[in-house]
Amino acid sequence: MSMTMSRGGRLAALAGLGVAAALALSACAPPGASTDESAAPTPGGDAATGTLKVGFLSPTSGNFAVAGQEMLDGWNLYWEENGNEVNGVTIETIAEDDAGNPETALTKAHKLVEQDGVDIVVGPLIASTASAVAAYTAPLGIPNLHPVAASNDLTQQNWNDFTVRTGSMGGTQSTYPGGVWAATEGGYSKAVTLCHDYSFGWESCAGFVQGFVENGGEIVQQIWAPNTTTDWGGYAAQVQAALAGGADVVFVALAGGAGGPGFLTAYLDAGGSIEPLLLNCCAADQGTLRAMGDRIIGMKSVSYWAEGRDAEVTREFVDAYIAKTGQVPGAYIAGGYITASLLAQVIEERGLLTGADLIDAITSYTFEDSIFGKVSWDEYNNTIAPVYIREVQKGEDGLLYNVPIAEFEDVDQWLGKGAPADVRSIVPYDQTNQGL
Amino acid sequence: MTNPATRATPVVRPSTGLIPAAPHGSGGGFWRTRWMQLTGLGLLFVLGLALPYLGTTTFAISLTSTILIAAILASSVNFLVGEGGLASLGHGAIAGAAAYGAGWASKQGWDVGMQVVMALVVTLVVSFVYAILAMRTSGIYFLMVTLAVGMLIFGLASKYSTVTNGDTGISGIERPAFISEYWTYYYFVFGAFVLATALLWLVRQSPFGASLRGIRDSESRMRSLGYNVAGYKVGAFMISGFVAGLAGLLSVWHTHFVSPTSTGVERSVLLIVMVILGGVGTLMGPLIGATIVILVENVVSSHVERWQLILGLIFILVILFARAGVAGSIAKLFRRIRRRRSGDPGGPSGPEDPAEAVLGNHPA
Repeated sequence: MSMTMSRGGRLAALAGLGVAAALALSACAPPGASTDESAAPTPGGDAATGTLKVGFLSPTSGNFAVAGQEMLDGWNLYWEENGNEVNGVTIETIAEDDAGNPETALTKAHKLVEQDGVDIVVGPLIASTASAVAAYTAPLGIPNLHPVAASNDLTQQNWNDFTVRTGSMGGTQSTYPGGVWAATEGGYSKAVTLCHDYSFGWESCAGFVQGFVENGGEIVQQIWAPNTTTDWGGYAAQVQAALAGGADVVFVALAGGAGGPGFLTAYLDAGGSIEPLLLNCCAADQGTLRAMGDRIIGMKSVSYWAEGRDAEVTREFVDAYIAKTGQVPGAYIAGGYITASLLAQVIEERGLLTGADLIDAITSYTFEDSIFGKVSWDEYNNTIAPVYIREVQKGEDGLLYNVPIAEFEDVDQWLGKGAPADVRSIVPYDQTNQGL
Repeated sequence: MTNPATRATPVVRPSTGLIPAAPHGSGGGFWRTRWMQLTGLGLLFVLGLALPYLGTTTFAISLTSTILIAAILASSVNFLVGEGGLASLGHGAIAGAAAYGAGWASKQGWDVGMQVVMALVVTLVVSFVYAILAMRTSGIYFLMVTLAVGMLIFGLASKYSTVTNGDTGISGIERPAFISEYWTYYYFVFGAFVLATALLWLVRQSPFGASLRGIRDSESRMRSLGYNVAGYKVGAFMISGFVAGLAGLLSVWHTHFVSPTSTGVERSVLLIVMVILGGVGTLMGPLIGATIVILVENVVSSHVERWQLILGLIFILVILFARAGVAGSIAKLFRRIRRRRSGDPGGPSGPEDPAEAVLGNHPA
């Protein structure tokens, strides 16, 4: 026992000594910290060599690996097609995997900025990783471009001067026109919604619900499915019961991945009709189209991306991707691609820019003929862009496309109501707060 | 592999690793090893202190802070597994809850002091809930209860969005001004790691720790001897939970951010992986395990696309060839060398490790 005490005492003494030493050391900064340069490296492309270093963060492993890889593929495709030298500036990309985990994303962002000295950070994808990285890069004055991230708060409650959404929309913004269309042109009056039961689903549902109700529609039931749902049989049955009970349109908002095909398979197998369905961007993305095949021809959805849009720039991009992979590109690939093309356009017109200058150049730019259509930016650095009501059609090449059947131009994140006085105090959407 | 120690499952390794428990009448060889171990710890300590002055980059220091924070959290799990035989799948959620406590206080615009208070209150409340629910269980049932409460906390974090901001998480959480620099914060985390390790070690050496091991080895025997088994388990969980909460607060100050992922079960599983890699019940095991996992997750992944495969391979190799974990196996190696030198044949008749003579073998 006495031995135990003595050893305990020794370790305690050692610990005490350590703390004392640490406190003493704290008085004199290590060499690297003296100028504070390493903590906040001054952004600024190497003017002499004309290189813009880009750190690209996306989840290329883990649950979101497919979407993360697609987003990176889209980005790379642009530079492969057009060369990574624009106006004498070489674009150098360093890609990192964040595994969809905010802590990893943040560590990787530190690595990209502090070790690799990147000028801008592009990505990541998942809402939590996006806000973690944005909160880190903004105080350092490093531009953070978001090709896919759809969380509203990125350009609302948590907006900052250095974070720009470049290749997507807020969840609510992109589905609001779907609600407007369903209640007006679509001619529907009673809706049932089925959305993923977490932030993205809540926000996406809120957009449709507001657009639908404001135009005279009625929401008869809202069904929420956990984002881990794999067996969609019960949800398909609930949807059919609601349809039998008088609902005439079903709005489905799910995150990309297995949810879309999972629900559609269960619903169609149970004898459901595609006629009353209206899906969001990601439930009706190319992955779903490929998985479901001809069964869903004619299915309608609402999104900012329409691969079947009859525009030269869109066709070029789609053809290039088909030539490379044999597949039609979905929204994540488009997000990566449009971000690269935007950066290239801005550098083409303004030369090498970094920091606040780059942000200014992007947000004051109007991207007339992007693959999305005409895109501009609002004062909170969010996209103002077209939203399409789309229908699945079979192309001449035998592949399935989402082809626009209606278009809403210049859709902004304030749903046509203008920005509130204090965007920081916006209450986030959830199951009960759908913005009505 | 005739060594009897290798037959024990890693979860119930009796050894205390780099510092084995005091033997009865051991020879000079033992003390020589002891001093080697203490020297090793001392060197590690000095290295830790000198790290920012060795020309390391900002990123390396910040990554080391991440490792130390993970090591503190792994230590809290290690304490419960090693001393109490209670494998928890809920410690990630305790740390996450503490982080949310601090994050919520920060969201209200409260100062740093209130962040600490909130983190502490949340930690104690959550740990107590865990402890009350888990105090009558052990083994797989304990695992399931901690898993369930962990899922509950994850659910609250992602669904109760008016408080937690849902999946987006709470960002912009500031740490105290005096440790705002990346290197001052490193020293703060380093000090916390040393203190937490010392605290857990002291508890382990105390009569309370001995009673815990008694409960681990035979709950019914301890109960019949008149020990309040449930009480001891609650006590052990509160101590472990407190350390986990500390790690949660340090983590949120490090990343300025908390989201439901921090409370997820994946985090908790990785903690168990860290503990097993390092060596269950060892002093430096959590640090070694955390170093391996964090480095693979954050550095190896930059160069290898399928980095999880590497982590899996390391885990399998450790399970196959070094069941006592890295720290436990090193300690075993030292003991073997010592025995060879002193010409002690060991063998099945005499205990090959004095620590085992004291602690005895115990069933899973």
